[in-house]
Amino acid sequence: MIKQETLERKTFYKVGDFVLEYLVIIMILALVIVTAIVEPRFLTAANFRNVMGQFGPLSFTALGMTFIIMGGFIDLSLPGMISLIAMITLSLFDIIGEIPAMMVGMMLGIALGSLNGTILVKFGATTQAKALFITFGLSQLYGALSQLYTGGSPINRGAFEHPAPLTQALSSGTVGDLFPFYSFFNYIPFTFIVFLVFLAILFIFQKKTRLGRSINYTGGNFVAAELGGIPTKRITVMIYAICGLMVAIGAIVAFSRANVAAPVVIGANFERDSIMAVVVGGTSLAGGRGSVLRTVLGVSLIILLSNCMNLMRIDSHLQETFRGAVLVVAIWLDHRRHAKG
Amino acid sequence: MTIYTTHIQHRQDTQSFGKKVLKVLGKQKALVAIAVILIAMLFSSTNIFTLSHLRAFLLVASPELVIAFGVTFAVICRACDLSVGSVMSLSGIIAVQMINSGVPVFLAVLMAILSGSVIGFINGFLIVKQKTEAFIITLGMGLLLHGVALYISNGRPVSTRDPIFNAISNTNIPIPVIGYLPSIVVWMLLVGVITFCILRYTSFGRNCYALGGDYEVAEHSGINVVGTKWTAFVITGTCAAIAGVLLSSRFNTGSAVFGELTPLIVNCSVVIGGTSFAGGIGGIVQSGLGVLVMHMLRYGLSMFSIEGAFVSINQFVQTLVIGIVIVSIIAMDCYAIKRKKEDV
Amino acid sequence: MENSDIILSMTDVNKSFPGVKALTDASIEVRKGTVHAVVGENGAGKSTLMKILSGVHTKDSGTIIFDGETIEHTTPIQSIRRGLSIIYQEFNLVNTLTVGENIFLGRFREMKGLRNSHKKARELLDSIGSTINTHSLVGDLSAAEKQMIEITKALAFDSKLIIMDEPSSSLTADELKQLFVIIDDLRKKGVTMIYISHKLDEIFQLCDTVTVMRDGIIVDTKPIDELTRNDMIAMMIGREIENEWPERPRCAGEVILEVQNLRTKKLKNISFTLKKGEILGFVGLVGAGRTEIVKAIYGADRVKNLKEKDLKQTEHGESNKTKMPDNDIVNTKKAKKLKSGKRMLINGKLVKTRNPRQGIHAGIGLLPEDRKLEGLVLQFSVKENIVMSSLNKISKFGFLDASREKDIADKQIKALSIKTPSPNTKTVTLSGGNQQKCIMGRWLEINPDILILDEPTRGIDVGTKYEIYLLIKKIAENGGSVIMISSELPEVLAMSNRVLTICDGEITGEFDPEVASAHEIMDAAIGGGEND
Repeated sequence: MIKQETLERKTFYKVGDFVLEYLVIIMILALVIVTAIVEPRFLTAANFRNVMGQFGPLSFTALGMTFIIMGGFIDLSLPGMISLIAMITLSLFDIIGEIPAMMVGMMLGIALGSLNGTILVKFGATTQAKALFITFGLSQLYGALSQLYTGGSPINRGAFEHPAPLTQALSSGTVGDLFPFYSFFNYIPFTFIVFLVFLAILFIFQKKTRLGRSINYTGGNFVAAELGGIPTKRITVMIYAICGLMVAIGAIVAFSRANVAAPVVIGANFERDSIMAVVVGGTSLAGGRGSVLRTVLGVSLIILLSNCMNLMRIDSHLQETFRGAVLVVAIWLDHRRHAKG
Repeated sequence: MTIYTTHIQHRQDTQSFGKKVLKVLGKQKALVAIAVILIAMLFSSTNIFTLSHLRAFLLVASPELVIAFGVTFAVICRACDLSVGSVMSLSGIIAVQMINSGVPVFLAVLMAILSGSVIGFINGFLIVKQKTEAFIITLGMGLLLHGVALYISNGRPVSTRDPIFNAISNTNIPIPVIGYLPSIVVWMLLVGVITFCILRYTSFGRNCYALGGDYEVAEHSGINVVGTKWTAFVITGTCAAIAGVLLSSRFNTGSAVFGELTPLIVNCSVVIGGTSFAGGIGGIVQSGLGVLVMHMLRYGLSMFSIEGAFVSINQFVQTLVIGIVIVSIIAMDCYAIKRKKEDV
Repeated sequence: MENSDIILSMTDVNKSFPGVKALTDASIEVRKGTVHAVVGENGAGKSTLMKILSGVHTKDSGTIIFDGETIEHTTPIQSIRRGLSIIYQEFNLVNTLTVGENIFLGRFREMKGLRNSHKKARELLDSIGSTINTHSLVGDLSAAEKQMIEITKALAFDSKLIIMDEPSSSLTADELKQLFVIIDDLRKKGVTMIYISHKLDEIFQLCDTVTVMRDGIIVDTKPIDELTRNDMIAMMIGREIENEWPERPRCAGEVILEVQNLRTKKLKNISFTLKKGEILGFVGLVGAGRTEIVKAIYGADRVKNLKEKDLKQTEHGESNKTKMPDNDIVNTKKAKKLKSGKRMLINGKLVKTRNPRQGIHAGIGLLPEDRKLEGLVLQFSVKENIVMSSLNKISKFGFLDASREKDIADKQIKALSIKTPSPNTKTVTLSGGNQQKCIMGRWLEINPDILILDEPTRGIDVGTKYEIYLLIKKIAENGGSVIMISSELPEVLAMSNRVLTICDGEITGEFDPEVASAHEIMDAAIGGGEND
């Protein structure tokens, strides 16, 4: 008798778990359906192109943040890092050319990320709360450095002497520019393809490689992983380095899309939105479990949400409120999901 | 019986004098920092050791001090509150908006402060009852409230011309010896004294220390841990709201951009003062000192900048220094804990 | 015995935890104004009994009468207010608060303020003859002083019965004497005490009545003068070694591991050897330093670096005992290495393990003491937990091979007969025994030369225990060496080829369990052996 009861309760839990587990997809579907009914403009080709175009810097930084959160950490240094990387890269455009400058930017991202990770590991800040404060301080530091670097003034891309084709492509180019065979290609922004490439690489890295698996162990149980022979400290530095690289790409995309890039301002809110995308996607803040694919869902939900709200002409400040609410609810649900498991 | 009793003295005697001094200084990081800054200021071009500078300094620091007094409760209970900045800006906007729509000043201020208490209550529910991680949920809460503040102020600073509201922070109150103090400073001191007394002399305050020091022991000792921690968050929210009212009264303006960086800076300041994230240690005075250190850094750096040509650049140096201070202080805190653990 | 003379009586108390029956029909009567000892091995059920009394656990059945009052359901604070205090090994004190506040923790209102608390605390401390400053922080006090505070705290509640759980485990000899004086004093004042301990000497010195427990059963309760030390040990160990264990393997070969002068803050000059195919048992009380030794060997704990003078001492002491190869000292590079407080030879080669990876590389595996916190990633599947340490085996050029991963997991699940619905089941849903097998499987896949098992059978049901014994035997027979730590003496004695006793961070004896009696070994492990 008792066994049967527990069985029944288990199946009941399973239904609840299922809903919790696939909440993002359910929410995305609900959002699409409701908006499609309320606002006919939602299902137009122009809006589709618009939505695809929204896969901008945030989608890259969120991919990076996925690894950090999966490893059981958190990173608030994104705004400062984006600002510093963007300023240095942009300033190098006219000196060493576009692509070398971008390379430097990516190297800088990896370097800054590794620095973050090393500081955390060396000082034993292996809990999320400690990582939060230290990376916040680092964000201030990087932001201030970027301001000092430019003297506080924004960099105007229009004033550059040399053309920057890649930047242009990242800003508004579509696949149709390269392959003008199908009109459909005109609806796929170039950035989205870059995003898919990185997504595929990171997905394979996380799911199929030894290092990717080590991240899971580290986030799942730091002590057990260390005792089981996983190089947890090196893994920590590595995930911050990966995040640094993704942040660098995010920074490049971000300044590509802005004609005038101002220090600090350019990176504002990226830490919040990235964490939100990751947690909303269903990667647990408790660490260990997660996937970059989930983050894509999270990013999609955020993009669709703002798209819908824009279409419905909801006040931009009210939109901020909604976003905050989604974040709070996502954290809360994540916690409930984790507490049950 | 002597063996038990001589133990403490015995152990202390084995430490060298230098080590003792270091230990005491280590506990009073904030005082050391203040001393260093003051000495550095002696070389500044402007003489800041005047009453007017002191007044101006306290005037600027008051809102953050009030917040820090509140945050102290949360931190002592081994948690933190990162929503205080948004609570501050929101309560200021609420007060101004209500006054503008004809509500009596007294009522408007009361409602604004109550809004902080309600938010603290919700935070407490999510953290104590639902047992979510304090730092992440309050971070989210802060962003949510920032949105609310933007929404009800329409993204612009809102101002009022009500003279009574203006007077809350901007009256000069005569005080013997030092002449006068702006009323915002007096309010700050009042909140400080009240929170100090709550923490020091009430059952609730002592229970905060007990549960922050060891949650389970406190629970086993029959302390109502849930209620106590929850109340601590309400107090934190309330103090942040009071700070919001004071700040908006000072400028006659409420704005959503007030306090965007406040929560993290205040939480760090509290730790700099010696209230530890490990819980159960610290107090109002320590937190106050921590905030003063941060402000002196900023104030001091801005003093230096007057002479320099690149005023704006010096502002960046300020941010830089603050970043360095936050990172090094928290990292030192972590390192101390790490060494303690490794030293088997 | 008159009824009014009994302060506490428990009748037929039962308690089981998932998978384990912790107490069976326990009955005990404690007379007023006596010091009543409860003795037994680790896991005999002493702590469970006391935790039921204090209200931390709830009994399944049975009656408890305390001070004429039947107690059905209680909480820790209720029982304290009734006059029943427990002083745990892990002190129930808030380290960040002052002595005065700790004594009156949670009673601020009753005491009407801090000043009064400190005043009352002073009076209480004076009454037991202590001059600890009531304003000092508890975290700064020594273990002995903390114990004083706990006693004072119990007195502050006018406790009629004070239970002390292993009070002597953290005290020096002098401090212990002081504790005895206080206990004696309290007994004269009419306070009843239950004294839980392993250390039989203390019990003979102090107690009036003794209750012996074993395997959740109360073996007997007798006045102290009707018992001898040997009787008591016999009752604690109880059963003769039965067929609960497989026959021990005998295939010890040449020395594989030689540890010399291992020292940390807690350990003092640990030296021992381990032979190929040998099962070496570590016997000692919880906290004696068993775990610290193996963690240091494995590389999980930092080892204290020796200072110059320590080193000289070691060299000096060493020349008498063991002979190091001469060239070690001559070679400066090696000599520098030797300065660290760990000297370990595996297969005759000097090996350094600064982290677990180096430990694994050197051929050591560790099954940690706490499988949930240190062993498993609970939210992960059986498969993932098994392959954790053999990622290099399942990966080519850094890429994981899912089919090899599955093969390994299937192989180990089959070899160890891990009862799990599928390799993808989360380990958190498995029973303790099967969880332990997952970690065993992890190590068997690597097949280290030296496998260290720290409490491999803790909290595991009898059937699975036997399976684990068989596994250990098989490892030894296949030429692996095993170090086994266990708090269950019969288990170690039955399984090991050789037993080392550890007490207070020192190796106090080496025994052949086939020759030596359980009495002797127990004696050495509780540090009282040399007195007899």
